[in-house]
Amino acid sequence: MIDLKRISKWVNVGGKPNFILKDINLHIKEGEFVSIMGPSGSGKSSLLNIIGMLDDASEGEYFFLGNPVHTMKEKQRSLLYKQYIGFVFQAYHLIDELTVYENIETPLIYQNIKSSERQAMVADILDRFQIVGKKDLFPTQLSGGQQQLVGIARALIAKPKLLLADEPTGNLNSRQGEEIMDLFKQLNKEGVTIIQVTHSEKNAGYGSHIINLLDGRVELT
Amino acid sequence: MLKNYLRIAFRNLSKYKFISFINLFGLTVGLACCLLILTYILHETSYDKYNRQAGRIYRVTRSFNNDQGVVSLHLGAVAPPFGPLLKNDFPDIQQVTRLLPIGHQMPMRYEDKIFNEGDLFFADSSFPGMFDMTVLKGNPRTALADPFSMMLTPAVARKYFGDADPINKVIRMNNQFNVKVTGIFQPFPSAAHLHPEVLLSFNTLKDSAVYGEKSLQTNWGNNAFYTYLLLPEHYPARSLEAQLPAFLDRRMHPNDAPADYKASKYTRLFLQPLTAIHLHSHLDEEIEENGDAGRVTVFGAIALFILLIACINYMNLSTARSSLRAKEIGIRKVSGALRQEIIIQFLSESILLSYMALLLAVGLTWLTLPGLNSVTGLQLSIYTLLQPLVLLPLLLTPLVVGILSGLYPALFLSSFQPSKVLKGLLKVGNGNVSFRKVLVVTQFAITIVLLISTAIVFQQLHYMQNTSLGFDKEHVVTLGYNNGLDNAYESFRTALLRDPHIRQVTRSSRIPSGRLLDDKGAASTETGDSLRPVNATIKYVAVDQDFVSTYSIPIVAGRNFSRDYATDTTAFLLNVAATQALGIRHPQDIVGKNFRYGKVLGKVIGVMADINFESLHQAIVPLILILPDNKDAANAFGRISIKIAGNKDNITAALAHLEKTWKTYLPEVPFDYTFLDEKFQQLYVSEQRQGTLFTAFSGIAVFIACLGLLGLSSFSISQRIKEIGIRKVLGASTTGLVRLLSVDFLRLIILAALIAFPIAWFAMHSWLSDFAYRISIQWWVFGLAGLLAAVVALVTISLQALKAALSNPVRSLRSE
Ligand SMILES: Nc1ncnc2c1ncn2[C@@H]1O[C@H](COP(=O)(O)OP(=O)(O)OP(=O)(O)O)[C@@H](O)[C@H]1O
Ligand SMILES: [Mg+2]
Repeated sequence: MIDLKRISKWVNVGGKPNFILKDINLHIKEGEFVSIMGPSGSGKSSLLNIIGMLDDASEGEYFFLGNPVHTMKEKQRSLLYKQYIGFVFQAYHLIDELTVYENIETPLIYQNIKSSERQAMVADILDRFQIVGKKDLFPTQLSGGQQQLVGIARALIAKPKLLLADEPTGNLNSRQGEEIMDLFKQLNKEGVTIIQVTHSEKNAGYGSHIINLLDGRVELT
Repeated sequence: MLKNYLRIAFRNLSKYKFISFINLFGLTVGLACCLLILTYILHETSYDKYNRQAGRIYRVTRSFNNDQGVVSLHLGAVAPPFGPLLKNDFPDIQQVTRLLPIGHQMPMRYEDKIFNEGDLFFADSSFPGMFDMTVLKGNPRTALADPFSMMLTPAVARKYFGDADPINKVIRMNNQFNVKVTGIFQPFPSAAHLHPEVLLSFNTLKDSAVYGEKSLQTNWGNNAFYTYLLLPEHYPARSLEAQLPAFLDRRMHPNDAPADYKASKYTRLFLQPLTAIHLHSHLDEEIEENGDAGRVTVFGAIALFILLIACINYMNLSTARSSLRAKEIGIRKVSGALRQEIIIQFLSESILLSYMALLLAVGLTWLTLPGLNSVTGLQLSIYTLLQPLVLLPLLLTPLVVGILSGLYPALFLSSFQPSKVLKGLLKVGNGNVSFRKVLVVTQFAITIVLLISTAIVFQQLHYMQNTSLGFDKEHVVTLGYNNGLDNAYESFRTALLRDPHIRQVTRSSRIPSGRLLDDKGAASTETGDSLRPVNATIKYVAVDQDFVSTYSIPIVAGRNFSRDYATDTTAFLLNVAATQALGIRHPQDIVGKNFRYGKVLGKVIGVMADINFESLHQAIVPLILILPDNKDAANAFGRISIKIAGNKDNITAALAHLEKTWKTYLPEVPFDYTFLDEKFQQLYVSEQRQGTLFTAFSGIAVFIACLGLLGLSSFSISQRIKEIGIRKVLGASTTGLVRLLSVDFLRLIILAALIAFPIAWFAMHSWLSDFAYRISIQWWVFGLAGLLAAVVALVTISLQALKAALSNPVRSLRSE
């Protein structure tokens, strides 16, 4: 599903390139549950952003389901992205001015899905995550765990094939974290490919395999 | 999708109430200014267009020039023979109508009711057919046919007849002749260039006691007859105009002119479209004071500038809030939004806001229009906006305003990269900062131009109202001269002077504050043994012996007219400007010399100082005072001026005495007086209005611009909140921080001032050039305006900066 070939990313600091990612080769198959680990500043988020097409690599090739992402225009990439990828963040990143219901609905709006269909889809997922009672609340009225549930519901609403999660449990207590991980496991069983960044060995254990990053390079294990 | 956008737009509006208020307020006020000015512009440009035949009606105007072709006078009215002769010579002219304004108060009496009427016109019987008039009673085609018939407005009729039917009632005019009421007409709309209240049949003038048929055919000198032509549809009026010089040569031959006299050498006729009169005609004689196309443009531009300032605010404040929206934009992009979808979302927000502003602006316009009406003296109505040609563009305006103000923020905000903003790494490029600086400089440049203009308008106004005119205009009461006094004048004057408060009484053809338009033609002055023609137009005022002393006009050489010299009726009193025009170095040199003015040969008895007889718009012109003999007095004099001594109580007593005396001598004429200084005030009414409007507009502009600055400074400070925190931790003082934060904006305002100064100088220089007597533009006004803008802006910013500097540094550092 994902094929990274000699991906590098650098930023220019005082005229000199400063490498964030260096020469990354990676192959992830559909249905895998991958955990990315590594010390702070090692480039985990940067890698996830490139995989999630939120950021460009400076060099290298990236094939997603056989499509050459590195040659695509922003718009094509957006279309590919919104069809296949969902994103979950450590800081939840819900829109404060929208209710739970409206937050979850947002990706559907950009997929031009009809209002009646949207209602059904949002109702389904609210039901599944057991947050029907919270649908008219605003994010600030929820606990962290509940907010992350909404964040995941939003990431999943458009039925993506790939779920990217950057430290999804980083702001949660361990019980809430476990619930989220169980949910991920369940989703993976249903066929969703998951790539998560985590600092926790225990959470990494939920995945099928682990990629270790150090100073922008993949550590061979 | 739009629903979702609008929902979040509303939630953001209500969440950030203060910012929303600033934006909404600014746009509302900006749009309201535009609506107000729009009603004004619609009114000013609609003059006389209510006439169905408006496009085919032309007014004949006449200019006068000397041998060199220099035009000395251009009148909106012409001599009485022109109308019928034009109709006769040019068969294409479908209709001609003449209108003679009486020009002064006319006493009218019915039974025991006597009133002075001001807006009287003699009108040809074709007048009601050429102009659209709503005739309520009588037959419009015949009402003005017979001599001694008249039409009245309902208001005038009611004064005399109450509820009784006015038709066929007889009114006595000036105790001289009787006129029968033959029709009632609705007053003309406010957007008309004339507003008659009483129309007398033109044929009345044929009566020799009133004017005389012969005079109507031969009096080429009495250019008081407004003459209108009705031409066929799409007729080339210019080609008709081109034939008028030949017409003049063919038709116009004053009795005493030599055989080879060519009238076109000294006078010209022009055709002026009816619809151009109000905004474009500024001739030496007009029925009413006209508007001015330039003024309309200036106010239109000011309204647009205020709207622009408000739009700039929106841009600045929206980008100022960008950090608040950054996360949302990131999330939307992560949720699959394309850049154009984000752009459309933000545009729909600004357009929504603009439509809300329009709604509020309509209300605000409705509330403030009475204020504008009282300042301008117009009757503007918000309903003039309810015409399809206006309404359609009006409803599209918020769309344009919304896009204008929302596009830049939308482009800016939609460019955020989710991978950066979601990490809290929002960096604003330098290009955006400098663009915003350009916006602020623009706002303040406009504001400073308005401030300077306001100051200069008021300086000029103050100058005009307070500068010495060269004579004493205080405590002078003026009344219309009435022919009833012709034989009793000396006894009337003696009776008045019996009151010790009344210092002087005089009669004259014109009084100061009026125009100087009369001249008697060529003048010649004694050089050596012969009389040499003077190559200058000299205007005259007919006065009696007491004019100079009533107005305390200094005599610089020779003497004033005196009752002791019977020969003074052929004597002349020149002003200094006239002696200069004659090429005389010392005024003394001309005293006692022979002089011919028009047909009268006499002697110069004295020279008086130059006085500003006319408004300060006009330069002082060569002037001659003449003393008509008793038999001419009846026609020569138009006004009586009475100089009262001392204080308020004196004036009350003197007025009482004046009224009593007046009623003894002129029981048939209502007592009606004005103070001369009030007449002078009225000369500058339009400048007064301009000053008031400028003050209001520049006040609004300053206020809105400062609201914008408030937003921008809060933006810039929020960007530097971490820097402020660190500096504070490192021990920076509050005043140091405030200075640090303010200095950037101060630089922008200085730049704005540098741009504004030449623009303001240029604009006000051309405004002042309309005045023959004007202030010189002083640099301190510019400095003051710049300083004022800077101080107001600095106060605005400093409050923000102070808040930031006083805030707890730990909190701002932790939030990063
Ligand atoms: N826009 C940028 N400009 C400059 N340097 C950057 C930028 N983005 C990331 N970096 C640098 O790249 C490196 C990797 O950053 P990244 O956020 O990917 O680390 P991470 O592994 O996710 O760390 P953490 O576990 O703390 O989240 C860091 O050293 C960071 O300073
Ligand atoms: Mg990270």
